[in-house]
Amino acid sequence: MRIVICGVGALGSTAVQYLRNVDAELRLVDFDRVESKNLAAQWFVKQSLGKNKAEAIRLQLANFYGAKAEAMGVRLAATNAVQLLADCGLAVDCFDNADSRLALSTAARAANVPLVHAALAADGTFGLVRWDERFTPDREDAAGQATCEGGEHLPMIGLVGATLARTIQDYVRNDRRHDYMINLAGVIRTA
Amino acid sequence: MAILNITYQGLSADYELELDFAASDEDIRRIAVEVVRSGGVRGLHVAQLPFNAFDQFVIDRLRGADGAQRIYLRPKVPFGA
Repeated sequence: MRIVICGVGALGSTAVQYLRNVDAELRLVDFDRVESKNLAAQWFVKQSLGKNKAEAIRLQLANFYGAKAEAMGVRLAATNAVQLLADCGLAVDCFDNADSRLALSTAARAANVPLVHAALAADGTFGLVRWDERFTPDREDAAGQATCEGGEHLPMIGLVGATLARTIQDYVRNDRRHDYMINLAGVIRTA
Repeated sequence: MAILNITYQGLSADYELELDFAASDEDIRRIAVEVVRSGGVRGLHVAQLPFNAFDQFVIDRLRGADGAQRIYLRPKVPFGA
C-alpha cells in the first residue's frame, strides 16, 4: 500500500516519525520550506533549514533510519490532486487550513481513496483524528490566528501525531477506521 | 435522548441530555453553559464560566461506537501543519 501524507508540518512530520516502519510506502506532500521557527514544534533538524519540508523529511528518514519515502514539493490543488493521490491506498490530511482540507477531501472522495484527518486547536488543548466520512474542516476564527508553531504545545502535537500514526497503523494492519479525540487528560476513542 | 460531550480548556466530560438529537446549536450551547456553571457535569464544573464561552465552539452530531447518539461540543481545530 502507498500512503500519501498531505502537509508535513507539526502533525504530519510528527506522525511520519512513528510511521517509519509501517508496512507501506510513504509519499510526502508539502510546498513549504523549513524555517528556523519550525524547529520548535515540527520534526525538523537544523541541517534541514531552507529545504522543502517534504524533501527534508525524506532525507531525515533516510539518514537517521534508512527508511525510504517519496517527496513531492508541491501545493495540492484541484489541478494536481489526481496525480498526487495516484496509486494510493490511503490519504492523510495534516493541512493547516480549511481550503486545502476541502480540496483533498473532494479529490479523495472522487478517487475513492480512504482519507483520515488530524487537526489541532489553536491553544494546544485539544485535537482530533477523524475519518473523512465524519469530518468537516473548521476555519480559523480570524485569518492569521496564532498557531502552535511556537513550540509551547509540543507535547500535545506529539500526542495527536502519535494517535494519527497509530490510527494509520491500525488501518494498514487491520482495515479498522477508528476516530479519536485528544485532550489534556488523554486519548478518547469516539468511533 | 442524547449524550452531550463537552470539551473546555482541555478537559472533556459527558452529560446525559433529555433533548432531541436535532436540537439547535444555540440551544445546545445555552444548555452546556448552564450545566457546566451549575456543576451538573461531573469533572467539569466552572462556576464562573462566561455565558459566551461556547459561542465559537463547534457542534458535531455523531453516532458513537456503542450506537448511542452523541453530541460533541468542542473547540475549533483549524491547524495541522
